[in-house]
Order: sequence, then C-alpha cells, then structure tokens
Amino acid sequence: MGLLSILRKLKSTPDQEVRILLLGLDNGGKTTLLKQLASEDISHITPTQGFNIKSVQSQGFKLNVWDIGGQRKIRPYWRNYFENTDVLIYVIDSADRKRFEETGQELAELLDEEKLSGVPVLIFANKQDLLTAAPASEIAEGLNLHTIRDRMWQIQSCSALTGEGIQEGMNWVCKSVNSKKK
Amino acid sequence: MEMFGYIWQYVYTSFLRYWLKWLIRQATGKCELQRICSGYKPGATRTMKAEFSLKSSKSKVLRGALETKKDDLEQCVNQIMKEKNVKPQKSPMFKESLHICLLQITGYNSLYISVEDLRKVVFSSENQEHEAMLLKLWDLLMPTVKLESRITKQWGDIGFQGDDPKTDFRGMGLLGLINLVFFSENYTEEARQVLSHANHPKLGYSYAIVGINLTEMAYSLLKSGALKPHFYNTVLGTPELRHFHQLYCYLAYEFDKFWVAEEPESIMEFNQYREKFHNIVKTHLQDPDVSLILTDTLAKN
Repeated sequence: MGLLSILRKLKSTPDQEVRILLLGLDNGGKTTLLKQLASEDISHITPTQGFNIKSVQSQGFKLNVWDIGGQRKIRPYWRNYFENTDVLIYVIDSADRKRFEETGQELAELLDEEKLSGVPVLIFANKQDLLTAAPASEIAEGLNLHTIRDRMWQIQSCSALTGEGIQEGMNWVCKSVNSKKK
Repeated sequence: MEMFGYIWQYVYTSFLRYWLKWLIRQATGKCELQRICSGYKPGATRTMKAEFSLKSSKSKVLRGALETKKDDLEQCVNQIMKEKNVKPQKSPMFKESLHICLLQITGYNSLYISVEDLRKVVFSSENQEHEAMLLKLWDLLMPTVKLESRITKQWGDIGFQGDDPKTDFRGMGLLGLINLVFFSENYTEEARQVLSHANHPKLGYSYAIVGINLTEMAYSLLKSGALKPHFYNTVLGTPELRHFHQLYCYLAYEFDKFWVAEEPESIMEFNQYREKFHNIVKTHLQDPDVSLILTDTLAKN
C-alpha cells in the first residue's frame, strides 16, 4: 500500500481533460473517426442511435470525445451536449455533394449557438479516399469559412477509413486547447 | 493466486486429465466421448463437453473431426469408433449421438462463415436483387402506403436515417437487410407491432437503424462463440442461415419489449439500454438449457 501511494504521487499531474464534441450529418464518418482515435476495429460500424463516447490519451490530454448521431431526427438533441465543450469537430462527407448545402446550414447554425461561442472548430473534410471527394479547399470556399472571425478554425482533409489526416487534425485540436488556456 | 491457477491448469491438462481419463476408462469400460454421449441428454451440455473433449484430445483423428466437412462426418465417426475401440453392439446410440454433436460443432463454424459472407456484401443500388429486397421490406411493413419514389423521406417512416437507405447498412452490409426482411416476412404481425412501438412519438426509436444495430449484436455473439449453447439446444443437426435470422427475430422482438418496459427518457439513451439488453442476453446464454426462441407471440412459423 505504502509503496503504491508513493509511486502514485511520483506520477506527474493527471492529464488535463478536454471535452470534444463530434458533430455532422449522418453517414459523415463520425463513429469511424471516433473508433480510429481509440484504435478500435472499424469494420462492423452501424448507424449511431443516440451517442457514443470514448476517452483517448493524447499529448498530455485526456480527450473525452462525444460522437452524437447525425440523422435529422436526432439533431434537435445536439444542443444538450454543448455545455463546456472545449473543441468542436465537424465532420463532412466530402463525396456527398448533394448534401453540401444541408451540411453548411447545420454548421452555420452551430456557429451561431451561444453556448458554443468562441469554441475552436475543426472541420474534417472526410472520405478523401473516395475518387469523387471534393478537396478541402473547395469545401472551405463553399462553406465561406474565411468569414469566421469569432474563433479559431481549421479545415483538414482526412480519411477516417485509412486514418490519413486524422493525426494532423488532432494536433491542431491540442494546439488550440493550449493556446485557449493561456 | 492467479499464477497457481495457471500452473494447476497446465499440470491438469497436460498430465492429470490424461491419467484420470485412463483410470475411469479402465473402471467403466467406456471412453470419455461415450460417457458424455450416454451421460447427458442431447443439447448444449453434451455437445459442449464433446467439443472440449475432441479439442483437447491427443489423437489426430479426434481433433481432426472438428475441421471435417459435413459430408465426411459419418466416415469420421467410424474412424473415431475404431480409434477408441467402441463396439457398435455395446453402445448402439453412440454413433448417431456423436454424429449429431459433430454436425452441430462444425455447423456452427460454417454458419459463421456464411453469415460473414453476407455481411461483407455491400448493399448496391445497381443490384436488382438488393433493390427488390429493399422495396419488399417497405411493402411488408407498410402494406397500405405506397412508396412515392425510390429516394424519398418516407424511408424515415420505417426508421432509416435519410431519404436513401443504402447508406445505412454500413458494416452489416446485406446481412442487415436480409434480417429486416426475414422478420417482416416470417413474423409479419410481430414486426408491425414492433414498428408501431418504434414510431411512438415519445418512446420511439428508429426501427430499421436499431434493427441493423441488433444484427450487429447477433453477429458479434455468433462470432465470439456465445451462441453455441443456443444453437446446440435448438438445432439437432447443422444450423442454417435461417436459424441465425430467427435469432435476430428474437432479439428484435425482445429488445422492443425491453425498451417499452424500461421507458427510457429519449432515444439518446439508446446505447445504455442496448448494453443492458446485451447483458441480459449474455446472461441467458450462460444457462446450459438456453433457447432464444420467439415465444408468447402470434408466430405460426
């Protein structure tokens, strides 16, 4: 017992907890992204009813990632999860051009939410493994991201399926938490 | 403590078990498989014990039986009887009993392969069979309402997420759709009853999405081997795909009953209740007499 408690004290301060909210339309790839972050198998994923949550250690942070279902019926519940959010990650299916308008509208509404004001936002332009995927620059333009002035933001192209681009995005997330705390 | 457990297990499986079996064999004049087949009634206990006995056997013939193809099993049983010196006159039931055990054991593995093959088939709008199945699902569940077009918000009425169900099958592929259709086709009344609960304004959930989620539950239970006692008890032979679909029907019906009884606050609680239900099913599967069959319903199947 004695030795254990000494060892515990020697261990550096516990990881700082960060609350990350993962939102976006259904079939955008939020759950696949979540499972990739937690290094879990991604071959048996089903549509999310409600939400999933996982904690991931990264760069001295304990990231509590909330993946909320994206179907229209569930979107009214998104607001129940806004409180105390440190970073918002918004996931877009870059190959689903038919729904660019819908996804842009949802994002714009989120950025108008009072409870999310000033919260840094990372936009994942997901599914870049698909040939028909729009490049991140095109999506950024379509969403008028350059007009965002009230918060830090970043767009990152990625493939939740192959894992490409995810680390870069998460690095930005950790950086933005650090600079916000200062 | 754990260490002792490992050492004991090692000593037991590599030496003691062998000598113990030899001693009992001398005393009773029967080999372990014979004792299992005559000592337990057909079903999970007998078949699980036979499976364990074959798996830990020192004989290649016995271990090989677990990987034998269905059509070669009869011959395989003959070989085992020769190897173990079992006289057919003395134990007339043995051959048939062991044959059934082996059909169940090897059948479980081939059932998993068939299920996995269906899961890997991606739903495709270009495939007419897939499309026909999807439309059939609609007609079975909504006999009085016509689908206005292939891409329509109406799909939401049977619990798909958007206006085209094709993106909702995901990791369960065609398996998810086949299960949904099987339930609606073979237990039509029950399926419509479940759908009406799912469409409840307050206690509701997305019927098709939850169905696909329960297919995942059935699939992972099968994959982990947890469904062995269920299939060993309910199918005295080779389990077929339809037996797997029937298990899905049980889950779909029972989950709905559970959900309605629990009255969750909202659909956002789904995963907690799913886990709770999953644990209940796993507890049932610990019972050697388990059989997860749709009961007290109007089923005539």
